[in-house]
Amino acid sequence: MRLELEADLAQLNRIREFVTESATSLGIAPSSFDDLRLAVDEAVTNILTHGYRGPGDIEIELDTAGADLVIRLRDRAMPFDPAHSPLNDPHNSEQGDAPGGFGVYLIRTVMDEVSHRPLDPGNELTMIKRGVVE
Amino acid sequence: MSEQLQIGISREEGDKAVTVLRLKGSLDANTQGALEDKAKEAIDAGTDYLILDMSGVDYLGSAGMRAIHAITNVLSPDTPGMRSEKLKVLNPSPAALKVFKTLGFDSFIDIHASVDEAIASF
Repeated sequence: MRLELEADLAQLNRIREFVTESATSLGIAPSSFDDLRLAVDEAVTNILTHGYRGPGDIEIELDTAGADLVIRLRDRAMPFDPAHSPLNDPHNSEQGDAPGGFGVYLIRTVMDEVSHRPLDPGNELTMIKRGVVE
Repeated sequence: MSEQLQIGISREEGDKAVTVLRLKGSLDANTQGALEDKAKEAIDAGTDYLILDMSGVDYLGSAGMRAIHAITNVLSPDTPGMRSEKLKVLNPSPAALKVFKTLGFDSFIDIHASVDEAIASF
């Protein structure tokens, strides 16, 4: 299942709906839908706010590999690797701190594997949730 | 596009100036500003305590948590590192509660089951 769009933040709802529809079609356990929507929303938000700093082309692909769900996001934005960026653990920060980096923390918490590959130009982010194909 | 988040606002009668914001829709990077603006309007209008009723929130992401964090700092500018005494949250969905807990916000923002219970905690 694939969605290509010139995305902006107003389309986050539509993107989350695409994740739900795709996961349903692919036979993914509904108990994981919230995690999948969260991971894709956070990843797209990061691409738009930090990569493009505005609207930009994004391609979202969901597919199964055995019992696993594989999500790939491709963009043409500035290089950014959330799989290896410094992790801001909210449990070790003060409440008064600005909660930057929480999106990356959520992605790496709810997904089992996160990896990054640079494109020319842009980025490919791969996120895997294991054992969710029913 | 703030229509993806509707925010109802009501003042509670009582000894303290309490405002309830009833949220319906998605609290994400697209709508976090609408929540911050509405909360600041209420604070500018004289409210000292805020209750965020999240029973109608169908999606909560880190951007929503950033908005809540910013509002607690506006309500309590002198104690940014302390437990939130002036903002309470009502009835988040299981998915929203998971985000709260994963990011550790449940350790400094109380979550209540009713408006009366939240008001009594102020």
